[in-house]
Amino acid sequence: MKTKVVNHKTPSVDGKGIMMGRPAFTDDLAEPNSLIVKVLRSPHAFARIKKIDVSKAKVLTGVEVVLTYHDVPRTSFTRAGQGYPEPSPHDKFILDEYVRYVGDEVACVAAINESIADQALKLIEVEYEVLEPVLDFETAYENKNVIHPEDGIREMFPIGFEPKKNVAAAYDMHIGDVEEALAKCDIVVDETYYTQAQAHAMLEPHTANARLDYHNRLVIYTSTQTPYHVRRIISQTLDMPISKIRVIKPRVGGGFGGKQALHSEFFVSLVTLKTKKPSKMIYSRQEVFESSYTRHPMRMRMRIGAMKDGTIKAIDSDSLSDTGAYGEHALTVFMITGSKVLPLYNKVDAVHFGGRVVYTNHVSAGAFRGYGAIQGNFALESAIDVLAKKLSIDPLELRRKNMMDEGETSPIFAIMGEGTEGTAMDMDTCKLRYCLDRGAELIGWKDKYPFVKAGPHKVRAVGMAIAMQGSGIPYIDMAAATIKLNDDGFYNLTVGATDIGQGSDTVITQIVAEALMTTVDKVIIYSSDTDLTPFDVGAYASSTTYVSGNAALKAALKMKGMLIKEAANYLKVKEEEIVFDGEKFFAKDKVLTLSDMANRLYYNDNQHQLSATESYVGHKSPPPFMAGYVEIELDTETGEYDILHYVSVVDCGVTINPMLARGQVEGGIVQGLGMACFEDVKYSNRGKLNSNSFLYYKIPTMLDVKKLTTEFAESYEESGPYGAKSVGEIGIDTPPAAIANAVANATGVRINNLPVTPEKIFQGLNKRK
Amino acid sequence: MKVNFNLNGRNVSYDIPPGEYLADTLRNHSFLSVKKACDEAVCGACTVLLDGRPILSCSFLSARVEGRNVTTVEAVQDDVDEISNFFSDEGADQCGFCNTGLALTILALRKELKNPTDEDIKHFVVGNLCRCSGYQAQFKAIKNYLEAHK
Amino acid sequence: MEANRYLRPATLEEAHQILLQDAKNVLLGGGLWLKKSTSSANALVDLSTLGLGAIKDLGNAVEVGAMVSLRDFELSPLLKDIQGGILIEAVGQIMGVAFRNGATIGGSVAGRFPFSDIITPLLALDTTVVFYPHKEMSLKDFLSFKGRLSDILTHVVIKKSKGPSFFKKVKTTALDFAVINVAIANVNGEYRIAIGSRPSVASLAVKSMEVVNGAKKLSPELIVMVADLASEELLYASTGAASAEYRKALARAYVKRGLEEVSK
Repeated sequence: MKTKVVNHKTPSVDGKGIMMGRPAFTDDLAEPNSLIVKVLRSPHAFARIKKIDVSKAKVLTGVEVVLTYHDVPRTSFTRAGQGYPEPSPHDKFILDEYVRYVGDEVACVAAINESIADQALKLIEVEYEVLEPVLDFETAYENKNVIHPEDGIREMFPIGFEPKKNVAAAYDMHIGDVEEALAKCDIVVDETYYTQAQAHAMLEPHTANARLDYHNRLVIYTSTQTPYHVRRIISQTLDMPISKIRVIKPRVGGGFGGKQALHSEFFVSLVTLKTKKPSKMIYSRQEVFESSYTRHPMRMRMRIGAMKDGTIKAIDSDSLSDTGAYGEHALTVFMITGSKVLPLYNKVDAVHFGGRVVYTNHVSAGAFRGYGAIQGNFALESAIDVLAKKLSIDPLELRRKNMMDEGETSPIFAIMGEGTEGTAMDMDTCKLRYCLDRGAELIGWKDKYPFVKAGPHKVRAVGMAIAMQGSGIPYIDMAAATIKLNDDGFYNLTVGATDIGQGSDTVITQIVAEALMTTVDKVIIYSSDTDLTPFDVGAYASSTTYVSGNAALKAALKMKGMLIKEAANYLKVKEEEIVFDGEKFFAKDKVLTLSDMANRLYYNDNQHQLSATESYVGHKSPPPFMAGYVEIELDTETGEYDILHYVSVVDCGVTINPMLARGQVEGGIVQGLGMACFEDVKYSNRGKLNSNSFLYYKIPTMLDVKKLTTEFAESYEESGPYGAKSVGEIGIDTPPAAIANAVANATGVRINNLPVTPEKIFQGLNKRK
Repeated sequence: MKVNFNLNGRNVSYDIPPGEYLADTLRNHSFLSVKKACDEAVCGACTVLLDGRPILSCSFLSARVEGRNVTTVEAVQDDVDEISNFFSDEGADQCGFCNTGLALTILALRKELKNPTDEDIKHFVVGNLCRCSGYQAQFKAIKNYLEAHK
Repeated sequence: MEANRYLRPATLEEAHQILLQDAKNVLLGGGLWLKKSTSSANALVDLSTLGLGAIKDLGNAVEVGAMVSLRDFELSPLLKDIQGGILIEAVGQIMGVAFRNGATIGGSVAGRFPFSDIITPLLALDTTVVFYPHKEMSLKDFLSFKGRLSDILTHVVIKKSKGPSFFKKVKTTALDFAVINVAIANVNGEYRIAIGSRPSVASLAVKSMEVVNGAKKLSPELIVMVADLASEELLYASTGAASAEYRKALARAYVKRGLEEVSK
């Protein structure tokens, strides 16, 4: 389909304004005299507050409020921003008698400036009963130390929640008999993999501010991915009507899942409600590391059985996930470790996926781009390469023989959803075969696999992985859009969809402009304000292009129908006789401009407001697919390696905005390379996160990845807006396996735990000597 | 104490606590283009220009700019407007939080480096971390911008 | 950070007196990472108006004022000329340009930071540190000096030298601390081997230097032996960034490569 706006280079609607320094982010919009809110945090990994004395803090001049667990509502909730009822356990209180990780909230102060707030924190006296923490997720299950012994916590529906055994969630599914199938195989690979608690490291720290407006309603500005979930959870937890709360999401400086949960909203809300004054809280970078969320670290045992000819017959994936102190996103991330990974090899006779998510006294794990798929991909795609080696089959050949193809399906789709059952679907678009072949070409696979010598102690090697993700959550994620026509003939577009820097405002504007046959500057978008914009679940599960985009498309087509009806009325012809080109209505020999019609509609003749609202819920979640290839240069004496080139060939249907889509992929690739190579998470033996600063937690810089090549496959997904699937997460999935495979190809050393560090490679090389 | 300096072409005199850092002073006086991201002199988001050269305002004591010239994005709007065109041309604009610090670094680069190689450019902006873009689009945008100003 | 006063003393004498008055009176270098080590101070003492910001050609040496920024250090043609530019190569790998515009050579040396990338090559050259009230000592002696120093570091003086040199900083990403750093220079015929961030601050591998300087010829076998010795004679320890064993292996590899490089 030929399009004028969609799939054309289009500048983002907000890039210029942001770079030119307009106030746009949450703290830029805080009330100038906001009280500064700070939180006292636990120095212990696990403790009970025996006594807490805030009297000295309270009387310090300039302190307005001090809150402890005695002063806040005792309602458990989940901080996870998910559809209601949430698949995460309600296991968190705003403030509690127990603290469950180093950095957990103990008390909250609000003061007239930061200096006094800091002093007030120091004046709070706490007597802790220090408890023995659970710091090893592999011994958490049924550990005698129970992290959530308290009453009042619950699961919203069965998710395998067994807090007395330190289990936040559990899941198990099987297709066929996997033991029987494995027993019949010629070769079985049995490997166990470990991934780390990657930090999002978004540049804008978590921040929220609150005020009472002149309706005396609570207005919260927050750097969030899920404004509607924030509103609901604040309402339920503070026991105030939702109608009294307004949540506004301004520009967000990066989320990646790390803001798909509540953070400081409770504290600024409570402070503002108590004092009637505006208040704000900004997380320090240390708090972002220690006291927000991380990726779920996991252990995955992968068994893959195949016949000599390379036919994969069975896959058994048995996993353990560490959700840390609280269970946000515990079950859903865990399930995606299987559901958005295992279908890649859909021709097997039997599959088993199961395991547990346990509590530990670590920083709480939560949503993070990839959402289980990156962990599962590392395990599966590493094991596939191990299998290829055992079978003496080229790893590309092995994948070609077994991987998902267009028109096919996997029974896993029907079984595994987001915390519940899934949705069966055929792969109407799956260009994986093309992606794999094209990627091999672009990296120079046949001349470089497995490695070539590049110097006295240097080799260059290649490695790869394939991946899939999703496009929203079918039957659960709902998005809506409203379009209103203005005098002079331009449109206001309001959507709940949450732009966190990924460009959804721009992409959705393009879709509407295309449908209304106009230009992007004539469609003014406003998003993510619970009073003014229609509902949207928020930016997660790769939903904004597919789900929110579809809602906007529907609304635009509805608006177009309304325009034509009005034009027919004014021109006194039948609707079928109208031809509309976006600016003018033509019928027989008559012409009416949209701008004239709009003016007449609002000022002169049969005046009424034209406005169209439509919603969309997906019936499937068409996966984007990709093949990722990496070339490294490795020093065989020291194990150090450079990343020379990363090739990505992606099938995400039509790219609504080709440049922004490329940006999503490349940003994901580099973030994935961070997890694969550089981002090491270190805890002290008393449970304190030592890698809690950019000085010790190293995210990639411009010098660390030499070259990226990104291409998109020709693909058109019928169910998506203008043929699009989503693209927000797929980029992050392949680097860990691609790197581990490249290192194995270079040295024969298999690294099964992330990150793949030079020292691990060095030790592996030593062992082989 | 008072600190007297030239901010964006105007002489100003601000009352500050002795230990205050420049990023806070600037934000407190409504120069909201200055961003605080790590607050420990690593990520570069807080970059402003001091006598035309980039510094990390989150960790630079305000008292130290006495008598000197400080520039934030608010004062170089035309230049940044132009840079933003090159960024959007490559799709390098995502969340934007690192962009104001990066834009000033690019302006300093253009003044300081004559005929830089690709490596020279990367070394000059390596101190501006970005978590969204993967850097390649940013690099291309910067290169195109410098080409246009040869 | 919390501080009661900000002072710009008119003379070094005045500055020195202020520092002696109170342990909580803090001398500022670049002050970039001050808030990481100090949450509150009494007086912050700034030496920027005392003329310590110049790089001077002393004829047979280059004198660098303590308040010279790492960036100005990096851009100095005088310093680039010393020993094949090893100092420039090292300082250019410290963080980014904006960081180096703020950080000072005085702060970097006075701090004796174990992870310092500039101390290691300075140690491999003939470097003297000058203090107020007048005292001079070699960088080597300053690094092993025990006890509190209440004097003010005012200048770093580096003797001019020519000859081959080698510098390697092993790191994760480009903005990282060194896992280990190695500086090797042949200064007027004498080989110097300095290894830093082990994690301790740079030291000269004295025994290795003795062997290599006592040899008539640097055969490949000798180089391997010396590299081994360098990995044994100094103290290497484990940190979150690397184990002692790995640091030793890196030292061995890079001393070998460095000696190969400078003896070509």
